[in-house]
Amino acid sequence: MTLFIKEGCSKCEYIKNKFDLEALGISIEVLGPENPDALAHLAWHGLVGVAESHMPILVLDDSSYIVDVVPIIRHLNGIARESS
Amino acid sequence: MIHSIEEARRFSRFEDDPTDMALFVRTSSEDMKGWDRKRIVEALLRETKVDPLTAEQISKEVEELVIRSGISMVTAPLVRELVNSKLIERGLEEARRMHTRLGVPLYDVDQLIIHPNRENANVPHGPEATNLTLAERIKKEYALLSVFSQDVADAHMRGDIHLHDLGFVDRPYCSGQSLEYLKKFGLNLPNSLAIAKPAKHPEVLLAHMVKFAAALQSHFAGAIGWDAVNLFFAPYLRGMSSREIEQLAQMLVFEFSQQAVARGGQAIFTDINLYWEVPSHFENVPAIGPGGAFTGFTYGDYLPEAQRFVWAIFDVLKEGDAMGRPFFFPKPLVHMTERFFTTPGHEDFLAHICEVAGEKGSTYFVFDRGSTAKISECCRLSFRLKENDLRDAKEPWKMRYCAMQNVTLNLPRIAYEAKGDDHRLFSEITRRMELAAKAHIQKRIFIERLLSLGESGPLGLLTMKRDGEPYLRLHRASYLIGMVGLNELVQAHLGQELHESKEALRFGLKVIAHMKLMADKLSQKHNMKFVLEQTPAESTAYRFAKLDLENYDGAALSCVKGNPDSGEVYYTNSTYLNVGAPINPIDRVRLEGLFHPIIEAGALTHIWLGETRPSKDSLANFVVKVFRWTQNDQIAFSPEFTTCLECGRTHRGLSVSCPRCGSPNVEGMTRITGYFSKISGWNKGKLGELKDRHRNGKLI
Repeated sequence: MTLFIKEGCSKCEYIKNKFDLEALGISIEVLGPENPDALAHLAWHGLVGVAESHMPILVLDDSSYIVDVVPIIRHLNGIARESS
Repeated sequence: MIHSIEEARRFSRFEDDPTDMALFVRTSSEDMKGWDRKRIVEALLRETKVDPLTAEQISKEVEELVIRSGISMVTAPLVRELVNSKLIERGLEEARRMHTRLGVPLYDVDQLIIHPNRENANVPHGPEATNLTLAERIKKEYALLSVFSQDVADAHMRGDIHLHDLGFVDRPYCSGQSLEYLKKFGLNLPNSLAIAKPAKHPEVLLAHMVKFAAALQSHFAGAIGWDAVNLFFAPYLRGMSSREIEQLAQMLVFEFSQQAVARGGQAIFTDINLYWEVPSHFENVPAIGPGGAFTGFTYGDYLPEAQRFVWAIFDVLKEGDAMGRPFFFPKPLVHMTERFFTTPGHEDFLAHICEVAGEKGSTYFVFDRGSTAKISECCRLSFRLKENDLRDAKEPWKMRYCAMQNVTLNLPRIAYEAKGDDHRLFSEITRRMELAAKAHIQKRIFIERLLSLGESGPLGLLTMKRDGEPYLRLHRASYLIGMVGLNELVQAHLGQELHESKEALRFGLKVIAHMKLMADKLSQKHNMKFVLEQTPAESTAYRFAKLDLENYDGAALSCVKGNPDSGEVYYTNSTYLNVGAPINPIDRVRLEGLFHPIIEAGALTHIWLGETRPSKDSLANFVVKVFRWTQNDQIAFSPEFTTCLECGRTHRGLSVSCPRCGSPNVEGMTRITGYFSKISGWNKGKLGELKDRHRNGKLI
């Protein structure tokens, strides 16, 4: 799973701080002017357009995705419960 | 040493008759003047920064040289070159550059008049085309000497970058306009011999549109695009019979196909943007109708008329011309927004335009997903409408856009130079993009200088202010950075082509992502809108391949496509997958589409059909899948045709003789980059690519 966040995005920071993403097996891609890898990864998933209006984005292992804070938190809470 | 003309005359072969002894100069103003070395001094002082004493000395030395030669008639160009040689001897290179004469060798002119120029497949061979070629050559030299700095010019000459349309350096690149401008203000152009009030009838509006397009063609280097054509015509069509609307559609298509008045005698390169639905940004906009008056309705109220007109346009396109051939222009770009799929009749309309796509290849399918709105120009260039543009939609005559220039990067060469080093690769891409930005700034400065001369200047039409604002809205201009050969860059850098592995494709995405972020940074730094575009690269892909085979022999030979022995070589265009790779068409559309969201100024995927004719239903299914399941911006299906010039029949596929009468007097045609043209006019690179294209018709 990959969590796409953006520099300066407060919702993104909130999620990053709320969960131990590494422990949950989630890698973080930070979209920003110096990170073409992250943008390329986002493009690979076909989510560049989505990212223009919805951040953060959580891409799941099957390449489906969840946007916006509340649904992402709900999903991550579920994963956290399962792993605990 | 000879000290005077009088002394020189004593040595001339005409010394018997003093009046015949004078040395004559054939000047560039088509007269013959007696020799006067002061003209050399005047020219040097006027054109360069050489001091008077040096100018005097040079003029004397040249005079001595001419007299010693014994000739009685010299030309102004020869004198100028003799002066230039003296400047070089003195190390005055900058003065020599400023004193340069631009021109074309006699031999070259002779060849150009006789043989066709294949740089642009759109330009038919003839006197106008020759005039165009000659003028372009001089303006190219001028651009490289006077508009662009030496480092930029040298990078272009070497083939590190390509400055497009140098022969049109005194114009912006492509543009998009709105019929609303003509509807509101009539046809009122600077230097026009007659002014027309706003049209009261649709035929007159069409006449205004065609004439304005012709005028615009002489002020832009590239395509002239028109937004929402069927929608903006609609207020004029209320109450018209089906026959009348069909006739109008026929007039529109034939007028734009046959107006051979544009640059070099070619047809006006026209894109018409069409909708089945009313885009949300126009729905509540007050409609302008006959006489330029508001009708009291909004464009949302004119949906039936708009739909009748676009349907009729596609009826005409489906029939083709008198020989059943596809129309090359106008190019019909059908925009599909989310609303398309909820607008009644969309399934029938989709089937109709897909039938035309399958029969003639005319239709361009543009996908405006989500809240995206676009105006398309050229074969892939598009302007994404931002918030301030959508505000302009309330006064649609303001919706005029342009791209100022396109500068394309030679991507494979960067890989050859990087030799597998990622850091070096991306550093070099950065450096060349900065150079591209520098070129754009220089072009903009030059154009601003021309625009500052107002309506009496060379770009007078672009400065007219019928709505209070210059027609060319410079603050909204885009500056394009294109790319050729991403596939070969990846191939050279990783050893695999884009389609050969996930890693190769993801690396390609990283390259374009890097370019996109760099363009954003340059935009902020220079307060200019730099955007990536898939360069059409009709000749650039060929030029870069040829240059790299000369200069990067070993590395290039394993990457360049086509046949080096025949000279039919090319690089894969922009971010395309190898055109010859046997990839399922939906996969090609999906994979190429991954790049499209980061190529902001437009992209297109071709589906080459060859001679197959998929059903309209299968094409319609394909189009819907592309909209729903991919990120692809735009697709076009490209069949191939052969027309027999003996019996007049047009057949599917490319053949060397007519399948019906057997005559070898045939003409092939298909899409070259983003428009249809006759194959006989294609350059070697495109011919090589044509041979390699993987035809997909059976898989749809």
